Amino acid sequence: MESERDDGRSPSQLRPLSCARNVLHRSHGSASWSQGDTKVLAAVYGPKAGTKKNENPEKACIEVIWKPKTGQIGKQEKEFEMILKRTLQSICILTLNPNTTTSIIIQVVNDDGALLVCAINAACAALIDAGIPLKHLAVAICCCLAEGGYVILDPTKLEEQKMRGFAYLVFPNSIVSVLPKGSSHVEG
Amino acid sequence: MGLPDASGDLSSEMEVDAFRRLFPLRYFERHLSESIRPDARPLGRARDTTLALGAVASAHGSALAKIGSTTMLAAIKMEVMTPSTESPDEGSIAIDFHMPPICSPIVRPGRPAEAAPVISKQLSDTISSSGMINLKELSLVSGKAAWMAYLDIYCLDADGALFDAALLSAVAAFSHLQIPIVSLNDDGKIELISEEDDGAKLEVEPVNKEKRKLTLSSIPFSLTCILHKNYILADPTAEEESIMETAVTVVLDSSSRLVSFYKPGGPVLAHTSAVQDCVALTRQRVKELQNILDETLSGMEID
Amino acid sequence: MAAQGGAAPSTYTPTPTKKTQRSPFFSDSDVDWLRPDGRGFHQCRPAFFRTGAVNSAAGSAYAEFGNTKVIVSVFGPRESKKAMVYSDVGRLNCNVSYTTFANPARGLGSDNKEFSSMLHKALEGAIMLETFPKTTVDVFALVLESGGSDLPVVISCASLALADAGIMMYDLVAGVSVSCLGRNLIIDPILEEESFQDGSMMITCMPSRYEVTQLTITGEWSTAKLNEAMQLCLDACSKLDKIMRACLEEAASASQD
Repeated sequence: MESERDDGRSPSQLRPLSCARNVLHRSHGSASWSQGDTKVLAAVYGPKAGTKKNENPEKACIEVIWKPKTGQIGKQEKEFEMILKRTLQSICILTLNPNTTTSIIIQVVNDDGALLVCAINAACAALIDAGIPLKHLAVAICCCLAEGGYVILDPTKLEEQKMRGFAYLVFPNSIVSVLPKGSSHVEG
Repeated sequence: MGLPDASGDLSSEMEVDAFRRLFPLRYFERHLSESIRPDARPLGRARDTTLALGAVASAHGSALAKIGSTTMLAAIKMEVMTPSTESPDEGSIAIDFHMPPICSPIVRPGRPAEAAPVISKQLSDTISSSGMINLKELSLVSGKAAWMAYLDIYCLDADGALFDAALLSAVAAFSHLQIPIVSLNDDGKIELISEEDDGAKLEVEPVNKEKRKLTLSSIPFSLTCILHKNYILADPTAEEESIMETAVTVVLDSSSRLVSFYKPGGPVLAHTSAVQDCVALTRQRVKELQNILDETLSGMEID
Repeated sequence: MAAQGGAAPSTYTPTPTKKTQRSPFFSDSDVDWLRPDGRGFHQCRPAFFRTGAVNSAAGSAYAEFGNTKVIVSVFGPRESKKAMVYSDVGRLNCNVSYTTFANPARGLGSDNKEFSSMLHKALEGAIMLETFPKTTVDVFALVLESGGSDLPVVISCASLALADAGIMMYDLVAGVSVSCLGRNLIIDPILEEESFQDGSMMITCMPSRYEVTQLTITGEWSTAKLNEAMQLCLDACSKLDKIMRACLEEAASASQD
């Protein structure tokens, strides 16, 4: 069943993407990224002097602060913070500014599915806006395995609830290699 | 890696222990080039693993898992709740992973470890998506009462591969779980029936005589590997994890189906071949872990 | 999904159908009642100690007295986290916490502030703080299961963990508590007995020097009872000390082999 999706997209069609940079004036770099109705704002501060305790002072330190749309930060957000931090560590050139900290603040504006992916793209755009040297860009995409065994890209919140498995994939734009990341729950 | 190249020359004069602390990466790479690790393991071998069931007397199910010196204590306590209206025939599971200050020098009281909520989330995702537990078995009286299984896992000693050890202790605790016999009283509350007068005088009808054990289908097991250059190191220690930062966790169930694949960023990019190697290593490890669990369970039955 | 979104449903632990018809715990006239675990009034639970339970710590010990099970880890001497003024003597930092399954009813697994400060006071007199100036030694205890007399067990276990970490001490510290139930004194009470007690006494002492590091008395006591209880505690401490020393000797001889 090569079904049409609720919003009329084909399985491999993404929602309309839009990106704006330098949306905040106080931060050193910022970007807003939206995929359909999912919208995330990312701000970059730094590099600031010094690293936190328990971090290696011989390298630059990346700090990610996740701000949910409403309410307190929970386990889910902590997990996103950790994934985002590890991902950004892999694209930044950490040896360039040792003993500094770069903070990335992610503010969720609206969540309509594929939130983590949207946040990774937003963070990457904000890092570019802040002029942080990067090895390459990171491009993130979410695929889902639906009940019937077919794969769809970039799910909405409604579609996410019906899916059996998720794969969040992050690819670098330069070298051709795979960087699967995040939890993919595949059954069967 | 902004270290001077002189370390190569120094190493001949320096004591091994000092070299290990000053140039940890070089120390490890020297071992890796000989296909051996500092604790004398080959790259693909996991550490010795032991399981003990019933370690906590006050819990309904408990297990102590040790992988190398990483130690996890898991205990399940059953409480009664009113099921939600969407799923009146289902119980629930709440999983919490704790890293008390005793487990590692980097955890201080009052400041919980950053890793703890992340592992907690990963564990509940893995256990729910593996379909190991049929939540319908936790139902007591449809729409009125169901079990809430509180699974608390304490890390007693943190020496790498925390998720693997935590998952192992969790599944072992579930397989050790003995659900208490209860009945429904006139006020609609669930009460315990004490073991002694079981069968003697049944003035109250137990509601779950048959359902004392959970049937666990497709048990998930995991293996964490470290990727460093072209090397794949299975079951890393805390020292290895701190030096080489790219970790891949693969969770397979007992029939070798992929439950989850987890690679949270990291400086090394995973090529398809590395991913396949990790899955192959996990497949072997799942067999080992399944055997360990089976042996421990059969040991319990003899006693 | 097992993970319930938002507010967790309220849960309760099922209670037994009928209250266990245990005869009143004891009555004043009755002198021959038995303790729930069949021990004599002046008999301690079998004690088990093992050092080196946690590899990532500088020193550690595990103690098991009946159902009371604790682990203590010692870290340091290491840099003081709280930026304090220069000090010639080292700092001792103690923390006692409980697991969520320590008590029969599921708890929150919180820190026990009172026990943390009592542990600190019981140990500070025994440690040669001047041997590690400017630095901190952290003593963290986790009560895996609470079966009564938790604090004395934590203190004895902590002194073993300190010895395992090679922290200089004047002597080991052994802790024992006694409960007063009516006319009887019972040593090393279990949880059930503690809930019925009229008064309790805990002594922690350095047995070879015959010095008391901490003495706490709560509840109702007569002077004669106090003296008797104190003697009981001190005798038990010196016996406990032998067990603790045997454990250390065993660990030392094992590491030599």
